[in-house]
Amino acid sequence: MLRIALAGLLLSLPQEPAPVELHFLMWKPHQREAWTRALRDFEKLHPRIRVRVEEGPHSSSELHAMLVTKLRARDPELDLFLIDVVWPAEFAAAGYLDPIDDLFSEEERKRFFPGPIEADTVDGRLVAAPFNVDAGLLYFRKDLVKAAPETWNQLAEQAAAITARHPDLFGYTGQFDRYEGLVCNLMELIRSNGGRMAPSLDERAEEAVAWARDRLIGPVAPRAVLNQRETESREIFLQGHAVFHRNWPETWKIANDPARSKVAGRVGLAPLPRFEGGRSVSTLGGWQLAIASHSPRRAEARALVRYLAGFDVQKRLTLETSHGPSLSAVMDDPDVLARFPHFAEMKRVFFAAEPRPRSPDYAELSDRLQQTLYAKLTGAEDGVAVLPALAPMAVLGLLVFYLSRGRRA
Amino acid sequence: MRKLGPWLAAPALVTLAVLAAVPIAGALWQSLFHETSREPARFVGLGNYVQLARDPEVRNSVLFTLQFVGTSVVLELVLGLAAALVLHAKFRGRGLVRAAVLVPWAIPTVVAAWIWRYVFDDYSGLMTYASDVSWFSDPFWARTIVIVADVWKTMPFTALLILAGLQTISDDVIDAARIDGAGPWRRFVHVTLPLLRPALLVALLFRTMDAFRVFDAVFVMTRGKSGTSVLQFLGYKALFDQGNYGKGAAISAVVFLLIATMTVFYVRSVPSRLMEADR
Amino acid sequence: MTRVAAVVLVACSVAPFAWFASASFKGPREIAQRRPTLVPLEPTLDGYRGAVDKGLAGWMLNSLIVATATTLVTLPLAAGAAYALSRTRMRGRRILLGLVLAASMFPQVTLAHTLYGMLQSVGLVNTRAGPVFPYVSLTLPLAIWILASFFREIPAELEEAARIDGAGPVRTLVRVFLPVAAPGVFTAAILTFIYAWNEFFFALVLLTGNDVRTLPPGIATMPGQYTFPWGEIAAACVLATAPLLAAVLLLQRRIVSGLTAGAVKQ
Repeated sequence: MLRIALAGLLLSLPQEPAPVELHFLMWKPHQREAWTRALRDFEKLHPRIRVRVEEGPHSSSELHAMLVTKLRARDPELDLFLIDVVWPAEFAAAGYLDPIDDLFSEEERKRFFPGPIEADTVDGRLVAAPFNVDAGLLYFRKDLVKAAPETWNQLAEQAAAITARHPDLFGYTGQFDRYEGLVCNLMELIRSNGGRMAPSLDERAEEAVAWARDRLIGPVAPRAVLNQRETESREIFLQGHAVFHRNWPETWKIANDPARSKVAGRVGLAPLPRFEGGRSVSTLGGWQLAIASHSPRRAEARALVRYLAGFDVQKRLTLETSHGPSLSAVMDDPDVLARFPHFAEMKRVFFAAEPRPRSPDYAELSDRLQQTLYAKLTGAEDGVAVLPALAPMAVLGLLVFYLSRGRRA
Repeated sequence: MRKLGPWLAAPALVTLAVLAAVPIAGALWQSLFHETSREPARFVGLGNYVQLARDPEVRNSVLFTLQFVGTSVVLELVLGLAAALVLHAKFRGRGLVRAAVLVPWAIPTVVAAWIWRYVFDDYSGLMTYASDVSWFSDPFWARTIVIVADVWKTMPFTALLILAGLQTISDDVIDAARIDGAGPWRRFVHVTLPLLRPALLVALLFRTMDAFRVFDAVFVMTRGKSGTSVLQFLGYKALFDQGNYGKGAAISAVVFLLIATMTVFYVRSVPSRLMEADR
Repeated sequence: MTRVAAVVLVACSVAPFAWFASASFKGPREIAQRRPTLVPLEPTLDGYRGAVDKGLAGWMLNSLIVATATTLVTLPLAAGAAYALSRTRMRGRRILLGLVLAASMFPQVTLAHTLYGMLQSVGLVNTRAGPVFPYVSLTLPLAIWILASFFREIPAELEEAARIDGAGPVRTLVRVFLPVAAPGVFTAAILTFIYAWNEFFFALVLLTGNDVRTLPPGIATMPGQYTFPWGEIAAACVLATAPLLAAVLLLQRRIVSGLTAGAVKQ
């Protein structure tokens, strides 16, 4: 009797559901504390959910390879992840993304910057939520530069004048290694000359690339930029060795952080220059929150998506990391403007930022573009002449032949 | 014991069949289809290969791979031979020299790649101190450095194989030649080298097959830029980054066929008595 | 003359690594300066701390697990095949040798796609067990070759004696033969272990999670968010190589004799 009563009692007690562990794959954050706080607060709001962050490589290209491998393997430890603004078409076509049309109404979608929302809408369905907006910006030493240059040629002239007075400085650093960033940097140069990149480079594009090859890299920027990505090129600027620097919005916070930057407080920000007769162009970048279609925890992941793309978190993270918020209203917020007065102008840049070519085969498209552009910039075609290539093999063949023939001495 | 033979060999054979032969066949089969992570498989016959033949990036990759194999192997052979001669000589501290020579061989290839990338780094590099060249953005230098790194890393292996051959040459033969009045060069060319032929050929064979599979160094040092794209890297990119399975399979089939061709060439041109044979 | 050559040889072999090792003790500022210094002016252990932070300890453990597992699987399989090749009059030995030789030349990328699919269907992608499969198939040929060379040297009378004493075939193998073949087994084990420890391609492709990664892909994808962390990379490389170097230097004679034994016979 007692046993039955006890059993009945136990069964009637409300069962505590086991906490759900949500796996979130993102890149290494620059300000980890801001992220940790935001995620802990999410956990307080949703006590059943624990967020476990896995940090992937910071470079977009590396993260792509990692994500593709995990998604293809239907990794059980992948629920929510960040994707670059150029990936939704590819990932959606491969069936990796769980559509989230139900998560944001039409009205709500209008509150995001249009570029990312458009990138996240594939075949009429919303497959990812914009997390932040990136756009190429020009950073410069406001203690050395009186007025930000409007054209690329002006930039070159100003850089030359300043480096003449300060020979230990480089004029400019940007990202010209053979990776996705190269497409971003060169797109800004090409389109600001009115040129076109895809399906192939037109005349104005070639002009812009030639200018970069002859007048920028070498005379103004060190040739080393051909091997540099965001990190290395920024470091040169942070160490105070460069006059001008092109990078994404988050660099603002880093450059003004005395712990990381020798030029804190001496940094100016402006839209990128253009060529004569063109307009200033910033490449649209930015990360999107995506849910793995194979994940069994999609419901919980959706909660996190709404949270991270919500006004409060966007404002907090903007204040603490200076990332470009995906919600345009954040940039009008008085607190944000007080901290980042330049955001008023940046808002215009974010609205006007131009996307890269859109395609489910973007990975290959970009790879070819990188190949072409890099070859033009380095001034050497990657082509291998047939004779030097086959000569060593011929020698090898002869060696084998000689060694196998012939008799003992 | 005779009856036991097949049973003893079977597990290894089955393993190789499942884990090596089947995947190779799978790659060859897959190469006949157009399939990406976004599109389902569609039979295209030799279509992928036709596309590869027309693709300049693939052409350059094939050419550099061949250039790499030829240059690396020849250099490793010559330097390995020189090293083996040194290691064979009797002098105090020979054990120490042998241990030192094994250092590059023991290092993982990715570590060796980092080492050489560091030496030629634009800012921290030792070589950059000497010259202002941006090494890895120049195809000639980028390719050279990749080859140097490979030769540095694998030369010890070749040296060891040749050393083995040297050790089988009895001193009497050398002495006889010296008594006959042959100088050191003649002794080397007419006595030592011919006796070394089997060792040299074994070294050549192993190293050639291995050199075709270069991947680690290219991945770490250049990610295939500046004309250093090699076939395995191209295949990796297609399969695991761009999600183009048909193209990747076709590239991997090309690598396989190249290696197979080289091996057949070796086996044909080397008389079987020179290769190791079972008793 | 030989002495000079020996010195040059040692210098060329060791110097690049020594140079990189000294970078592991340098801070970012010293690394970034143009003038190279062999002995760090301001030695620091930051590089090592950073490398450990990124997960080096985990990578080493994973490498140890995977390499050990590979060796434990490859050796018995190879021993069996090598024995059959060298000490029995099994038919088709030539074909077997040819097949083994053929298998040693298979490019990783050709195996990769199908092997990936096979492992994925049994859920072994991104697990420590996954890479063992391709590693076994890649190390079997060399292991068989080395073991066959060693086994060939052992006099046939050994098994005869055992049989006369009344031992069955299995007993002969395990109790009589293997102890004598131990040095060869040892050498094959070392070489297999080193191969699995250093392998990069499959590790890169099959192990994407940082918790299961082995050393090579961990080190290869290290670049950080602030500066290019040469100090950390160098430290990671030193730590990754140290156990191998120690093993190789201590067992140098064994390895040399293993590779050279029976490699070439007239």
